[in-house]
Amino acid sequence: MIEGLLRELAPQVLGVLVRRYGSFDTCEDAVQEALLAASRQWPGEGIPEHPQAWLVAVASRRLVDEVRSDVARRRREEGAAAVALADERSQAPGAERPREHDDTLTLLLLCCHPALSPASQIALTLRAVGGLTTAQIASAFLVPEATMAQRISRAKATIRGRGFEAPPADELPERMRVAEHVLYLVFNEGYTASSGPDLQRTELADEAIRLTRLLRRLAPGDDEVAGLLALMLLTDARRSARTGEGGELVPLAEQDRSLWDRDAIAEGVALVERALASGPLGPYQLQAAIAAVHAEAPDAEATDWPQVLALYGLLERIAPGPTVALNRAVAVGMVEGPGAGLDALDGIEGMDGHHRLEAVRAHLLEMAGERDAARDAYRLAARLTTSLPEQRYLEDRAARLG
Amino acid sequence: MRFMLMIYDNADTRELLAGPEGKDLMAEVEAVMAQLTASGELVGGEALADPSNTRTVRVQEGVPVVTDGPLAEAKEHFGGYLMVECESIDRAVEIAAAWPSARHRPLEVRPVMDPGGMEM
Repeated sequence: MIEGLLRELAPQVLGVLVRRYGSFDTCEDAVQEALLAASRQWPGEGIPEHPQAWLVAVASRRLVDEVRSDVARRRREEGAAAVALADERSQAPGAERPREHDDTLTLLLLCCHPALSPASQIALTLRAVGGLTTAQIASAFLVPEATMAQRISRAKATIRGRGFEAPPADELPERMRVAEHVLYLVFNEGYTASSGPDLQRTELADEAIRLTRLLRRLAPGDDEVAGLLALMLLTDARRSARTGEGGELVPLAEQDRSLWDRDAIAEGVALVERALASGPLGPYQLQAAIAAVHAEAPDAEATDWPQVLALYGLLERIAPGPTVALNRAVAVGMVEGPGAGLDALDGIEGMDGHHRLEAVRAHLLEMAGERDAARDAYRLAARLTTSLPEQRYLEDRAARLG
Repeated sequence: MRFMLMIYDNADTRELLAGPEGKDLMAEVEAVMAQLTASGELVGGEALADPSNTRTVRVQEGVPVVTDGPLAEAKEHFGGYLMVECESIDRAVEIAAAWPSARHRPLEVRPVMDPGGMEM
């Protein structure tokens, strides 16, 4: 419970500090230290009456110590006159009023700055907005802590000097899209891991949902944020059905739908229905709408494939790409028959040598009753994938065809 | 994505490192390592001892059969690796091309299997 509270307060405390002292990277370190101090002290001493003020006070003290020793060092090294501590307090009067919501959004958009690589955006967002430690992030991404620490400090160095303020209105939509993509990547990392042996990584899916809920509170009018949250909820609702007892992948058509999380589905469906009704369509809304069609079918046979096909058609128009074309080909196969699906595959560019193309081809060939060709395509897909559970699944499909 | 950059060597590479160019080559290696560390792409790496130190192990009818020396006598041997995590195989290839021994002996860039996967 303490950890949850700390993670919720982390971006708010950081927002207050950055607004007060101006330097994102030193403030971020100070907040991490304050969070660590709290996680050591609070379980024994109890949660302070004003936990946020406590964290701000401790982080500020660390920061001031840091600045003082920095000033002393500079004085020693350069023999320069004292650098006024007040310089660090580039704060306008009145800037202290509660503006936590705006600050957290500004913080998220800063961590998802387009000047950073996706790997850095993810690491920095999870630490500064999610309140995770470097060690936790490193273990979730299966890299050594030193590697993750480097990514974070390099990311901070890259955005050093960028002002802590909301992007100009004309840049905001584009910056929101980048932040959504970062959260989407975090979710995917956790979701794909849920079939692997490493359960710690699946917490990334929960963290992505938590942060997307936060983003939704910060930007309630953004239909794509609603679409993204719906997509995550509808996908994550299948979590316990998508792997078998031995960790093997269970395809959508064969999942035990009684294991699907009905509450998550209801929330996701409501979100996407409202978003679709209210404004311009976006790719996350459409992907969520497709996930909702699957979620609402009582069994695989009852899936409204013409509806899925129509939605993929729309998606292809606003966000074309080989993955969308591939998924559309599956829907074509289900609506018009496997031959039409295979024809649709032939038109896809940019997926040569990709295991997903061969896996879909195999599936359509199997539907068409071409067992030998289907088996060969499954085997080819199994060789091409770099995922262990996918490889096991594809080998198993090939073996079933004798 | 994670990639293993498999570094191949032969006796000549070692002579090269011991020779007059050796110092410059090591400095180049260190520069690449420093750059990969700073970018947060370096996950790990080790150099392997000379292949003459190898034991090859097989189990035949429940009994381990151990022979001295590598599995196959080849002109080039697997001499060490770098493990990197980067955006794409193209970036991994770029790192391999910057590795100094690539001018003398090849590297292989191999994707590492992911324990996670997507439902199909």
